[in-house]
Formats: sequence, C-alpha cells, structure tokens
Amino acid sequence: MTPRTITELAAALRSGSTSPRTLLADALAHAERSQKDLNAYLAVTRELAEAQADAATRELQDHPDTASPLCGIPMALKDVLCVDGIETTAGSKMLSGFKPPYTGTAVQRLFDAGAVCIGKTNCDEFAMGSSTENSAYGPVGNPWDIERVPGGSSGGSAATVAAGTVPYSLGSDTGGSIRQPAALCGVVGFKPTYGRVSRYGLIAFASSLDQIGPFTRTVEDCALVYSAIAGHDPRDSTSDPRAVDDPLASLHAGVAGMRLGVPREYLAAGLEPGVRASVESAFRVLEAQGATLQEVSLPSTDVALSVYYVIAPAECSSNLARYDGVRFGNRVERPTVTEMYMQTREAGFGPEVKRRIMLGTYALSSGYYDAYYRQAQKVRTLVSQEFEAVFNQVDAIVCPTSPSVAFPMGSHDEPLSMYMCDVVTLPANLAGVPGISVPCGFVDGLPVGLQVIAPRFEDSRVFRVAQAYEQATEFHAELSPYAREAA
Amino acid sequence: MALSRTDVDHVATLARLGLTDAEQDRLLGELEAILGHIARLQNVDTSALAETAQVGDLVNVMRVDEPEEPIGAAAALRNAPATDGSYFVVGAIQGTELDA
Repeated sequence: MTPRTITELAAALRSGSTSPRTLLADALAHAERSQKDLNAYLAVTRELAEAQADAATRELQDHPDTASPLCGIPMALKDVLCVDGIETTAGSKMLSGFKPPYTGTAVQRLFDAGAVCIGKTNCDEFAMGSSTENSAYGPVGNPWDIERVPGGSSGGSAATVAAGTVPYSLGSDTGGSIRQPAALCGVVGFKPTYGRVSRYGLIAFASSLDQIGPFTRTVEDCALVYSAIAGHDPRDSTSDPRAVDDPLASLHAGVAGMRLGVPREYLAAGLEPGVRASVESAFRVLEAQGATLQEVSLPSTDVALSVYYVIAPAECSSNLARYDGVRFGNRVERPTVTEMYMQTREAGFGPEVKRRIMLGTYALSSGYYDAYYRQAQKVRTLVSQEFEAVFNQVDAIVCPTSPSVAFPMGSHDEPLSMYMCDVVTLPANLAGVPGISVPCGFVDGLPVGLQVIAPRFEDSRVFRVAQAYEQATEFHAELSPYAREAA
Repeated sequence: MALSRTDVDHVATLARLGLTDAEQDRLLGELEAILGHIARLQNVDTSALAETAQVGDLVNVMRVDEPEEPIGAAAALRNAPATDGSYFVVGAIQGTELDA
C-alpha cells in the first residue's frame, strides 16, 4: 500500500475503511519515526490534532455529503504560519516560545474545512534561504537522500509530503520557497497569484512578494487545497476581492491547442545537464498532448536576481524591525533601551537574517536609496512588462524550477551561490504571477521539477497544464524510501 | 563596491543590530561581494520606467468604519518579555541617544 492522496483518503473516509483517528495515529507515528533522519518538524501538535480528528469524525458522520474533501485528513504547516496558542518560531531563536494570539486566515480556512494539523514544519529562519540549512533548529534531510538538502525555505513542508507522512502541507514562497523545495523533493508545490491567498497570520518576510501555497503529491490535490485557502480576506489589504474561479472545473481540459513558451534565458548557462534533459523531455510530452511549444525571451532574467536581492532584503529589514524585545520574542536585558534592542537582535537572529537586514538597511539608507532601492523598483517594472509581453504570445510558460537537483548539505557556503538557486523562480514573485512545480524526472535518483507559470489570476491555467503533464507521466507516483515505508 | 568597517558599523546602528567584531569583518566581505553582483542594476536604462512598489492593482483599501472587538490587553501582552500587567515594560530611554 502506498501513501494515499487527499482524494483517495477522502473516499476511504466516506467508505468507512478508515477514520480520522486512524489516519492521525499513522501520521504521528510516521512523523516520529522519520524525525531523527529528516528533522522536518519543529513541533508536533498532538492535542490540537486529536481534537480536530474527533470534530472531523462527527462532521463526516453528520454531514457525509457536504463535508469538505479535506475533512479528517492530516496535514502540516510551515512554522511561519500562526496558530492560536501553538508555538510558532519561524525557525528562529528570536521567537522560541512565541504563541500567537490568533490563527491566520489560510490556516483557519483549512481548519474550518476539517483539517487535522499534526505539526509545525522546519524552515529557513524567517523563510530566508534555499536549503533549510538556515534554520536555528538544524537542517532538514531530503527524503530521497538525507545527506542532501530538501531545498528551501519551506524544506520541512516539502520533505514531510515527500516522506509520505501527510498528503499535504502549507508553505510560503517569496522567491521560490515553495516551488524549489517541491522540485528538489519530488512533490507538487504551488505559488498562487500575489493577492489570491490572504497573508493574515503569515510571519512577514517581504510583503510585496510573499504568498502562501500548498505542497501535495498530485496536481488535483494541489488544486483542492488552493481552492480551500484562496479568496478575499478583509484582514489582508493586499488580498484581491475578485472572485476565485474553480481550478477543478478546467483541470482536465488538457493542453491541446495551447501555446506554451520556453524562455531561452531559463535554459541558459548554469542549468545542470540532467535537469535540462528531463525538462526537455517534459516539453516533448506536452507537445504530444497537443500543445505548441515556442521559444520566448525574458531578457531581464539575469538582472531580476539583483532586483530581488535588493527588494526582498529591503522589505525584510523593515518587517523584522518589529523584533525588538518589547512586544514579543526574546529579550536580552540591558540598562538602556537602545542597548537592549541591539543585543536582543544580535542574540536572536542567525547569520543569513543578519546579512539580509544589513543588505536591506544599506539599500534603503540615505545616499544609496536611489541607486539601489528605487532603481530595483524600476527594473522590477521591466521584469513585469517582459512577462506581459510573453503572455501576449503564449498561454503559459514551461521551464525548469531549479537549475540543479538537491545538493549536498554545506555545498553552497557562499551567500551568492545560494542566491543563484532562485534564478528561475524569483521572477514570478517580482511579477506576482502564479507558478507550480511538478515532478518531471530523476537524475541519479534525485527528483527534477517542471515549472509552469501563467498570467496573474490565471491560477486555474497553471493547474490545467500541470495536470495534463502529470497524467501523461508517472514521475509523481515514484516514492522516496521514507514514503515506501509509510504504508 | 568598496565598503569600510565604518560603513558596516553605521548600517548596523541604523538597523539596531548588534554585531561582534568577527561578524562585522565577515559581513564586510560578504556585502561587498553581493553589492558587486547587484551593481549590474546600474546598467539598465530605467529613464522611461515607473517604480513598482507592489504588483497588485488595489489602491487605498478601506474597511467599513465600524467598531470591532479588539484583541484585548491580556492576549496582546501574553508574549511580551516584560509587562506590568497593563503595559509593556522597557529600560531607560532618557539619557540615551534616542533622547538626544
């Protein structure tokens, strides 16, 4: 028996062949067995999960026809998502012991649908990183090879789905932090259009880029979870009020007649040969399904990395100013308030967070603001315009998610080499467009991801293309060693 | 991109970020390398481009002006390192640079 998808588990719960308590017990046992190797969890929330499983049991008994497909199914949350009364650390010592006084909107929508939350997953500190090696609580192992990184920053959320512990989890994506770990762990990961999912209750990193999204094992499951969390929320002023179309309605429409663009800059230098070969085979699969593939150009791809590494640190330096030892988080006592701020932040933040605060503060400081921050904002406009121009020629973009497969821990010790990991994911954040990663092959036993990107608010089109690819291939059904053991 | 220890110290002070000497030395080299890479931004002709602060098309989002139940002092203070029951407690501000 293999780990089952949300769709399969929802059917099993309704046929009576399993129960929320049974699924929960299996998930908790598997999380515990794999924790030593994977370190995917920062906290296991057994008490919360048991209460939710019991409520789900009642809901499935009382309203079997109207209960959500997510009702009674175990899941996990990246530890940047606030849950009332449950420790939420963002992978930082700064927030050890922090128990939010409220639950975020995306999480609450899943809880209202009957989700059973088994724990909070490990991540790069304040979601800053591409390997989950920046967590203050130790790195996460990739379930395909625990000597390698799972990607990041949502490494724990990707790893726990790849390990078969839970069928889905939530992460957050600021420059690729859902799509890149999904690719490196061989699962599906989706970053919605900016403004589609409320960020109320998401610990902020870079507010003009951050989006919450799901990790799953299939595209259909991904669309299901997205549907449950998407939609307007008055508590997030960047949340968009227009109606969300149902991605399941067009999921099986196929790609026949669709025009798909391959940006030549995304297949340029730096791409591992095995990744290139896998992605190019994926293009042939889509062509065989009736899509027309054509080369397109996003000329500012190279400079987009520089735009990102000005704007994201600038917003981070502003957002993280709130960690001053006064209202929440930890404090280092000093006689004066300024010394208290300085020493609290010195003790609470790790090296990558300090690096980004310094970089962002510099880019915003007097004398450098125009050259760095304002210039980056202008080039960001160019990046968006180039996406718009491409989407006048094609319906969607298909490309690699990551230039490499999962790399060994400790192999990217220079900040710049780590930053390069995001080169094909972060442009979508700058332009606010939706993107997904789906499994599209293996290189020496390590997963490769295919990325699909569509225009803003065309999230359903992303799922439609990804589904057509997934249904024509079997890569999503391959199981990591931990998932084979999950049954 | 040439930075000095004085620059690093100045930025750290702006960010209210304490750093050890070793951290300052390391950051000096790392920031120089990153800023050197980012310098390619200067080569882009942006004379005809407006700035993008955010990609959404929403402006001036207002909520209905109706009173709501606030979160309450007890919940708001629950995570604070030091309180007197109704307020956050911090050390002396008078006599420091913030008072200058």
